[in-house]
Amino acid sequence: MIDVQQEKDTLNIALIGNPNCGKTSLFNILTGLQQKVGNFPGVTVDKKSGTLNLPHGKKANLIDFPGTYSFYPTSKEERIVVQTFANPNDPNYPDAVVYVADVVKLEKHLLLFTQLRDLGLPTILALNMADVAEQEGIEVDTERLSKKLGTKVLCVSGRTGAGLDELKEAMAALDTTGGQPVDSTYYRPSQEEGRLVSELQKKFPEASPYQRILLGHHHSWLPFLSDEQRGEIASVVERTTFQDLQLQVRETMQRYDQFTPLVQQSIIRKSDKPTSWSDRIDALVTHRILGPIIFFVLMLLVFQSIFTLATYPMDLIDFFFGYLVETVRTTLPAGWFADLLADGLLAGLGGILVFVPQIAILFLLISILEEVGYMARAAFMFDRLMQAFGLNGRSIVALISGGACAIPAVMSARTIGNWKERLITIMVTPFISCSARIPVYTVLIAFAVPSTTVWGIFNMQGLAFMGLYLLGIVAALGSAYIFKLILRTNDTSFLMLELPEYRMPVVRNVLLTVWEKVKTFSVEAGRVILVISLLLWVLSSYGPVKDMERAKLEAQTAIQESNLDESTAADLMAAEKLEASFAGHIGRFIEPAIEPLGFDWKIGIALITSFAAREVFVGTMATIYSIGSADDEFSIKKRMAEEVNPATGEKVYNRATSWSLLLFYVFAMQCMSTLAVVRRETYSWKWPTIQFFMMTGLAYLSSLAVYQWLS
Amino acid sequence: MVAPIQHTHQISNLRRGQTGQVSHFTDERIACKLMAMGLLPGSKVQLMRRAPFGGGCYIKADNIVIALRQREAASIILR
Repeated sequence: MIDVQQEKDTLNIALIGNPNCGKTSLFNILTGLQQKVGNFPGVTVDKKSGTLNLPHGKKANLIDFPGTYSFYPTSKEERIVVQTFANPNDPNYPDAVVYVADVVKLEKHLLLFTQLRDLGLPTILALNMADVAEQEGIEVDTERLSKKLGTKVLCVSGRTGAGLDELKEAMAALDTTGGQPVDSTYYRPSQEEGRLVSELQKKFPEASPYQRILLGHHHSWLPFLSDEQRGEIASVVERTTFQDLQLQVRETMQRYDQFTPLVQQSIIRKSDKPTSWSDRIDALVTHRILGPIIFFVLMLLVFQSIFTLATYPMDLIDFFFGYLVETVRTTLPAGWFADLLADGLLAGLGGILVFVPQIAILFLLISILEEVGYMARAAFMFDRLMQAFGLNGRSIVALISGGACAIPAVMSARTIGNWKERLITIMVTPFISCSARIPVYTVLIAFAVPSTTVWGIFNMQGLAFMGLYLLGIVAALGSAYIFKLILRTNDTSFLMLELPEYRMPVVRNVLLTVWEKVKTFSVEAGRVILVISLLLWVLSSYGPVKDMERAKLEAQTAIQESNLDESTAADLMAAEKLEASFAGHIGRFIEPAIEPLGFDWKIGIALITSFAAREVFVGTMATIYSIGSADDEFSIKKRMAEEVNPATGEKVYNRATSWSLLLFYVFAMQCMSTLAVVRRETYSWKWPTIQFFMMTGLAYLSSLAVYQWLS
Repeated sequence: MVAPIQHTHQISNLRRGQTGQVSHFTDERIACKLMAMGLLPGSKVQLMRRAPFGGGCYIKADNIVIALRQREAASIILR
């Protein structure tokens, strides 16, 4: 306990409960837009917290803990709960707990509650889904329950907002001064546990008896223990013949035996009607054959929405930033400042915001499916298939949405509980061909494959297009399999997933999810993207002064000699400048490395600039071959077809080079925004770095192989 | 409670719609989690559906529905 005299105006209150108890709905309705997303120290688990005003001028800081079944965790998320509550010195150790339980499943939801009670924290038991309980004819004698459990009991609804005022009143009335650990009323420790508790008394005098038992169970991984403490507990555990799993089972059974009768005495079920319509929907939706078909149809709709609906706001954003750039250009005097503002900063910001519509639409649809209860069913259906590749049933959603854009897809992996499966999903999703690869494919495929018809109906180019998509899928699943073999984890992978009843989605929850995703992307990933795009801008618009001057001079002479018109002159100037810039120098520098792939230094420049985003490849090609900044694919294709290697006199974009480039863009990690998002989702630079080298390495090798084979 | 395998009457052998009563579990780790979720020795269970692609199944116990892998389902022994 913190006994430092501090202002007790703000209470730290933990919101905790089983998965699917409606805790998040309650959290959302209590905190609304006042919530912040951070992470728990040292782990990649999101911590949502928010402040709310209580009656009598008090305030509360509410922390939404991950849904947990008991103090015996099976995932990273559940461990957070244990490591926080087993350690009174943890920064997130709360002053009090609001325990949320689903009224309808109260007999199943009180295990963790009784464990929490044994820690001696002041608690309020909030019985959620009061509205559903009423519909189903369930009545709770809250007073009786309150007396039996020795805690304040309230009925609330995170859906309708019923009972919230009473809940806030109860929070304000919490007495957080006492909080002495109590002897468990739900659990009689076994002999071994009793011995362990007394032997650990000296070393952990502050810990309650139950906290000491938890130390005995979890000492091997609890992060707040020193190595010395860990060793001491381990020797006590050995001396007292403390049997980890057996004792867990024994404790769990005892607790159920204690609280089940209490609950049964306090609940009156007026009608005994089982909700069969949830079963009836399931009969269709999880059908062995129809189920997957329904899933793919749904995903097709999601995919189509991202693809088509997002184009309108994306075009609008493009147009808006184009307009801003134009305004800057016309109002500010030409010079480095106008360049920085227009081509660096505004272009960078536009490049971030242009992803927002896709992110918003994907999460709108996904969180509706999640809220309804469908996603758990999808995870169940595809579990076996995805397991073969080290992935989770839920990974299939990320993989499919990766076909539109890897950024929201990677963010959607958040719902995967098992850390290893989530990481693999994040690592392999960018292999799936996203919409930004399409312009690159369309430009290059014309050089790689003739537009002939085979077997009467298939266009060769169309087949090649499909082949590229399939290659991406194969690479994703193949690398997932390799990760499955390589990555080590302490967590055993389980399914054991509770399938919630089908419910109407709560609009507030859906919108808050969308808002949170958009905000996280724009702020956290956006920062990284902005820095990289500014760097790329510097690289492509500046160069060694001598070279830049010479390029300018050469361009001017050429313009004067051939008497070019204004726009052609500007295009030529841009091309000369790009060649003389740092990016041009890097392009020449890496030429020896990319020559075996059939790339010259001009392609090298495009590889560097299109690291910002793959579609930039087309724009860079336009600049290099000085055909203006217009994204006119036809004229770019025409110009590229004419390009001749000065040394050999052969065409640059022959079949071998084009296939090599195509394969490069199928595999290579040419997207800084995805890397920024992966960093944000894994909370480290380690995984995006590995991802970059894995993808680009594979790209290099396959381009090398195909070029050497075809040329 | 947890005990070594005595019978082979596992939940994974039920047919769709069939019910049974949990006797014990053969894997302690899985047992801990299932019990925390509310599936206890003595609980009545019904096999609701098998997953596509030769996967697991999902069961209903009282008012909760739990999806299980094949291996997880096989560790639940019925009376």
